[in-house]
Amino acid sequence: MDEKKTKILIVEDEEILLTALSEELKQEGFEVVGAKDGVEGVAKTVSEKPDLVLLDLVMPRLDGIEALKQMKDNPEIKEIPVVILTNLSDYDKVSDALSLGAMDYLVKANYRLEELVSKIKAVMERHRAGVDVVK
Amino acid sequence: MFQLDSVQLLLALAIYTVIVFIFIWVENRRMHHNLQLKEHEMQRRMYEVSILKELAERIGYSLNVQKIVDVITGSLRKLLDYSTVSYLILGDEGRIIFHCIVEESVSKKFVDEVENRMIAALAALIGKEIKPQDIDESISGTVTDESNKAQIRSFFNVPVIINAHPVGLLNVASSKASLYKEEEMSILFTIMNQASTAVSKLENILNQEKGKLNAMVESMADGVLMVDTRNRLLVINPAAAKMLAIDKPSPNILDVLNRLSSKMDLRTKIEESLRFDKLEVEEQLRLDDKVLRVLISPVKDSENEPLGAVVLFHDITKEKAIEKMRDDFTSMMVHELRSPLTGIRSIANLLREDKIKNEQKKYQEFVDLIVTNSASMLDLVNDLLDVAKLESGKFQILRKLTQVSDVIKIRIQSFTSLASENHVTLESKIEDSLPALMLDENKISQVINNFLSNSIKFTQHGKITVSAFILKKGESFPRKVALLGMIWPGIKDQSFDSDRLILAVTDTGIGIEEAQIDKLFNKFTQLEQTALAEKKGTGLGLVIAKGIIEAHDGEVGVFSIIGKGSTFYGSVPLAT
Repeated sequence: MDEKKTKILIVEDEEILLTALSEELKQEGFEVVGAKDGVEGVAKTVSEKPDLVLLDLVMPRLDGIEALKQMKDNPEIKEIPVVILTNLSDYDKVSDALSLGAMDYLVKANYRLEELVSKIKAVMERHRAGVDVVK
Repeated sequence: MFQLDSVQLLLALAIYTVIVFIFIWVENRRMHHNLQLKEHEMQRRMYEVSILKELAERIGYSLNVQKIVDVITGSLRKLLDYSTVSYLILGDEGRIIFHCIVEESVSKKFVDEVENRMIAALAALIGKEIKPQDIDESISGTVTDESNKAQIRSFFNVPVIINAHPVGLLNVASSKASLYKEEEMSILFTIMNQASTAVSKLENILNQEKGKLNAMVESMADGVLMVDTRNRLLVINPAAAKMLAIDKPSPNILDVLNRLSSKMDLRTKIEESLRFDKLEVEEQLRLDDKVLRVLISPVKDSENEPLGAVVLFHDITKEKAIEKMRDDFTSMMVHELRSPLTGIRSIANLLREDKIKNEQKKYQEFVDLIVTNSASMLDLVNDLLDVAKLESGKFQILRKLTQVSDVIKIRIQSFTSLASENHVTLESKIEDSLPALMLDENKISQVINNFLSNSIKFTQHGKITVSAFILKKGESFPRKVALLGMIWPGIKDQSFDSDRLILAVTDTGIGIEEAQIDKLFNKFTQLEQTALAEKKGTGLGLVIAKGIIEAHDGEVGVFSIIGKGSTFYGSVPLAT
């Protein structure tokens, strides 16, 4: 269907996790861009126009919730689907994020690559369907 | 590949060790916390029980004139002949109780006539008009008989006087003529007088007791409300009024219910407590900036009749804040450890693949990531263990003759590259005459390390000076610092009551507000700050430095001016 690779922006302040996720997703055939905090995350969402954003919640400078608000307030990028990266202890924040328009979330502590990939694909699918319906 | 296998083995070992450490640490904290909670809960329960008992007694004290008159009227038949015996008593809230015991089957009209005459007499006695709608009427005894045309032929009232105040009337009436002569009348007067005197005395005693209890309830730190079975507010102590922010002089139950309306249904809780005769508890009531625990307990008299309910408001704002701080600390700690651990696992998985093995640069990058991340995790675990030891009082120091200047030199070397990254010059200022001192060399080195790494975090394009000198007993701190040619922003004039070794790290960084200084040495607030800050580190360094200096019988301190810089110092008494 897609000629072009799906482009994913990972916003994650933990360097090793950002590196690991990037490498894994690249191996799965995605194009990957990284950002190390919320400010950079929002900026790269605008400049890179990714197909999907993986967004960490606890970050310096600008946390995930604030970054998500800025994304959803910006008409240029508000349609880009966002999947939250979270720890088990942040369930309150996750539900905030979902009500702000995040499409899904992934618990980082014990994620499996297959799970992440299928989540990304499902969200992309739902997003496309959603956009079609709106049109 | 041999190299890879050994890396993985080391890695697995490191991760295993870290997990075991964390587990032990968390488990210890949890057990300690649980034990404290249980003890606290026990104490609270006992306290609550004692209050409720006192209050039950207090409500039980309230005298019931009606009951006393009931007793008298019930035993009057042996002494007097009458068709009806009735009383009219001033009740609560302007209500007036009329009760008639019909002995001989007279008509309702007869009873009404008795009532009307009594009303007129009581109105005259108390000098106030009595309206029919204020009267709660009841009749007992023989059934009234409308065919009976008997009229009141004999009739007399005896006033009920308590503490020199008329509170009602007792009446006997008969269809027989001229029944009550002086003798009969004096019998009733005597009985009534004796009863009144006894009741008056009792009431005085009870008022004194009530006064004592009132004073106790008034001065209680917990908020207390008392309501009767008809939901009227009997007591609200100042603490309760303050907690509920009710500042009317004499609030009623509606003020209380309205105040709580959006948060809890107190009326239903009280009703349930009375109906099921059990303690109702609202564990957390959030009211403005306060958290209250609310207990509602039924109160009964000695015959097990419900009298009302007591509502106790216990302010648990502080406990909740501490609990939240602990929870935040735990989740932050878990976050700090779990994120890199997850990363390490994923990277290790990637390293297993042949593809990466053939990309030398990427392979090296991944191995480096594992090394630096496990190192920083190990730092955090070590710091946590140190803090745990400090808290449990198991932190030990081992003093030996130590050249402080050597320790400082080594520490400065280890920070050189980080300092130049931040464009910071590192200097040392050690007093020439500084002798070798009895200190725990490793731990003192850790203090300097922690002070330095903290200063570097908050200094860009500036200078950091590590200094060590002796401050004699009574010598001025600022003068000595100036004498050594140093500038410490915000230094305060002080001196010590013994000779001290001063170990200090002074920077030209962003500075700290006075109010923030205490937080620096608190583990809960520190780790939280760290997780949200851009800079890496456990944030526990200052907490540990303080512990080490204190283990040397010394103190830590901070001088600072916003925008100019800060000095973190430890002062250690010289071991004699």
